[in-house]
Amino acid sequence: MRISYILNAIGILLTYFGTVILAPIIVALIDKDYFSIIPFLTASIASIVIGLLFRKYGGFSKEFNDLKRTEGLFITALTWIVIAGIAAIPYLFYGLSPINAYFESVSGATTTGATILTDFSLYPKAFFFWRSMSQWLGGMGIIVLFIAVLPQFAVAGRQMFFAEAPGPTEDKITPRIRHTATALWLVYILLTLLEIIFLSYAGMPLFDAVCNSFSTLAAGGFSPNPESIMGYNNSSITWIVTFFMFLAGANFALQYKFLIQRKFGALIHNEEFRFYLKIVLFASSLLASILVLDQNYHLLDGIRDALFQIVSIITTAGFASADFELWTVPAKVALFSMMLIGGCAGSAGGGIKVVRVLFSFKYIKREIAQILHPKAILPLKLDKVTVSQDIMRQILGFLIFYIVLLIVSALVVSIIEGDVAVGLTGTAATIGNIGPGFGAIGPMGNFDGLSNVTKIIFIVNMLVGRLELIPFLAMLHPDFWHVKK
Amino acid sequence: MKIIIYGATETGYLVASELFEKHDITIIDIHESLPDEFHKLDISFVSGNGSNVNVLDAASIKDADIFIACSNLDEANIVSCWTAKKISGIETVCFVSNMEHFESLVSPTQSMYQTEFDINYVIWPEELLKQEIFRIITVPEALDVEYFAGGKAQLFEYKIKDDSLILNKKIFECTFPENTLIVGIKREDELFIPDGNTQLKQADKVIFMGTEQGLNIIARNFFQRQSKINTAGIIGGGSVGYMLAESLEKIGIKTKLIEANEQRCEYLADNLKNTLVLNGDGTSLELLESEEFGDMDVVVSVTNNDEKNLLCSLLVKQLGVKRVITRVGNARNVDLFEKVGIDVGVSPMESAIKDLRNRIIERDIDILALVERGQGEVIEVTTPKGFSDIAIMDIKSPAKAIIGAIKRGHKVIIPKGNTLIREDDKLIIFTMSDDAQIVKEYFIK
Repeated sequence: MRISYILNAIGILLTYFGTVILAPIIVALIDKDYFSIIPFLTASIASIVIGLLFRKYGGFSKEFNDLKRTEGLFITALTWIVIAGIAAIPYLFYGLSPINAYFESVSGATTTGATILTDFSLYPKAFFFWRSMSQWLGGMGIIVLFIAVLPQFAVAGRQMFFAEAPGPTEDKITPRIRHTATALWLVYILLTLLEIIFLSYAGMPLFDAVCNSFSTLAAGGFSPNPESIMGYNNSSITWIVTFFMFLAGANFALQYKFLIQRKFGALIHNEEFRFYLKIVLFASSLLASILVLDQNYHLLDGIRDALFQIVSIITTAGFASADFELWTVPAKVALFSMMLIGGCAGSAGGGIKVVRVLFSFKYIKREIAQILHPKAILPLKLDKVTVSQDIMRQILGFLIFYIVLLIVSALVVSIIEGDVAVGLTGTAATIGNIGPGFGAIGPMGNFDGLSNVTKIIFIVNMLVGRLELIPFLAMLHPDFWHVKK
Repeated sequence: MKIIIYGATETGYLVASELFEKHDITIIDIHESLPDEFHKLDISFVSGNGSNVNVLDAASIKDADIFIACSNLDEANIVSCWTAKKISGIETVCFVSNMEHFESLVSPTQSMYQTEFDINYVIWPEELLKQEIFRIITVPEALDVEYFAGGKAQLFEYKIKDDSLILNKKIFECTFPENTLIVGIKREDELFIPDGNTQLKQADKVIFMGTEQGLNIIARNFFQRQSKINTAGIIGGGSVGYMLAESLEKIGIKTKLIEANEQRCEYLADNLKNTLVLNGDGTSLELLESEEFGDMDVVVSVTNNDEKNLLCSLLVKQLGVKRVITRVGNARNVDLFEKVGIDVGVSPMESAIKDLRNRIIERDIDILALVERGQGEVIEVTTPKGFSDIAIMDIKSPAKAIIGAIKRGHKVIIPKGNTLIREDDKLIIFTMSDDAQIVKEYFIK
């Protein structure tokens, strides 16, 4: 690994990120909230200065074309850690403690949506705007954005792109990685604009519409309203958000094919998407019947809230259209099981990913068949294509590591907090980048009351969950650390 | 007819020996002289490369009618066919042995390409073999099957066995379904066209024509001994095994396939949807037993090794399979295989030659099919404009013939005595080969 190389790359990203972080100032100016200029300006200056220092150390090289795989992984991981740090700077000015600020910032960038805020009335609009915007940037991926925008990464971007873009398969819509990144952002922006228009039309104030749309498309879950989507008390808003959350949880590459290339079969012929749709429909009808029969919901309300909540959890957005903390145990179990699935590969959602769940089912089915026919050659197919041994091994490794991390983290947090619900659901909600759990950290609660150790564990969970662990697994190996200048 | 054959291979020999009695044959081969076996045939020989213009000229290609390329190299065959075509617009027949080539050359969409492949007829023996095995499995008792009018009209040939329901009955007494006709009977090597009073005797080969539905009823009511085929086992996953499995799974037959090569197994498993691909040796009794090959409705043995096919077939026969179909590489061994207990022996070369023979004889006239080694023919005649309507029973034809089906627009009618024939009808007529020309002239006159 060449340190100068890595610092140089991160330096470039930081200098550009320094300009991006100025965006909330526009909101501050419109809002005539002149105090809010200072936090973001400070963060911007810090970002640019650190960036320039890194680049100085790296010798201002502009060539990245021979980036190695490990270096790509490392740059991706380090970028996330450092950029979350920069994004936390403005929060410090609003009275958040450093650990809380970093938690909130990581929760934003990884599109988790777990918050430590207790009283939403204390903060200005620029604050909420930045919260949602950091999710929006993190949703499609900060590095994907920079690959799309910065010509330096035209070639080297390949390594970093697949380190950041979640999912076991490499979807490239176009032969060039840069065009792919641009195409994905195009779809992302298009859908965000559509949602803003729909939400404002449905009666949501423009500022809230923008913030909520940012969080929806990122499958994030931060809302400027302390009661999340429930706070708007508007049925059509709930439906609109449900629809866009569902899209955020689907593969953007497929949506590009569907929307821009007009291959209308692209979505429905995709096995993962069909499975995703089936899970959502099945789980929400189950939940709806629980709500109607057990909790005396009106039929239509039951269907609406069930669908919203299932989609919200499976896509890992983590919005709430009702306080599901008050629901009965079966309803909560239905929601919790969604936490373990997550969105589709190549979506903004986190979690295990639908395609891996689908793979696991097929794997089990194959093992059963193999017992009956020991000599049979049984290929495991996804989308009619046989999954190669490499990918199979990778998926299994991922699943095992995910479960191990889930258990270890859940146990440790349960001991620290003395609360199994917080330990288990908090871990699932942070590794899966979902947001709220159950109990004290439920949809109307927050993560502020947790101890600092728990917060640090959750911060690690969120980052590891967002980057799909693989870069982190690589970093645990001693060979990764062969440092060269 | 003058026929040029490129390639003094085994295929070349079979083609030449099949055709040399009636046609003038010239063989082109890269070697200096022909192999010994060819000297028994009355043919001429040109030494050289079949894709070379001068060599083709030396074989006087401009006077020839058909060019058949059957060297052992697909690419050479394709190029020589193209070359021949460039010189004289001759009809070309190309043998291939590779699925990829076959798929491209017979691609139905090639008319949309910039230039068509420009080979008149492509023969892939293994594909024909697969078709034949598939037919034997799906219509097990039928001796011959032909399809007309896109499958809307069909011809089936059955043998009357000693326990048949219609044995010794007269045709008008039999309760055959509507939309079917008996067009011909072959008794003691002689084909004739029956009437209602003809009695059906044992060992008669009866030729039916009709719609698919009607013939299926006949098959089920009069000729199907065993129940429908539900399960099939295939031993050997080469091209034939692969394509056969593909066709079988398409019609919902549960198929298991044994292949020894693991890599090939993976390829098969990737490409077949419902077939269970087993990696192992077809001669392993343990494997055959544990996968219940003994309970299969039919087992097909199509490895590329005759001895192995024979052994596998005898093994599964012993396990209790009622119907065993075996590939026989050397066509002369088919009878021997059937003598030791294999139900049906099939040879790819035989399928190919049969196909080629039909192709050559059918070349000019509108012959749809040849029945019983060319004794009978199914021809298509279109009635001319101004043809006055006439009922079939009023036709006074100079020769015996039966109108098996009438194609009118998109409709296919299986006629009765009072059916009217109109202008612009396409008549599918069964007749004796010797009478074909007379029958044709009668309708067109």
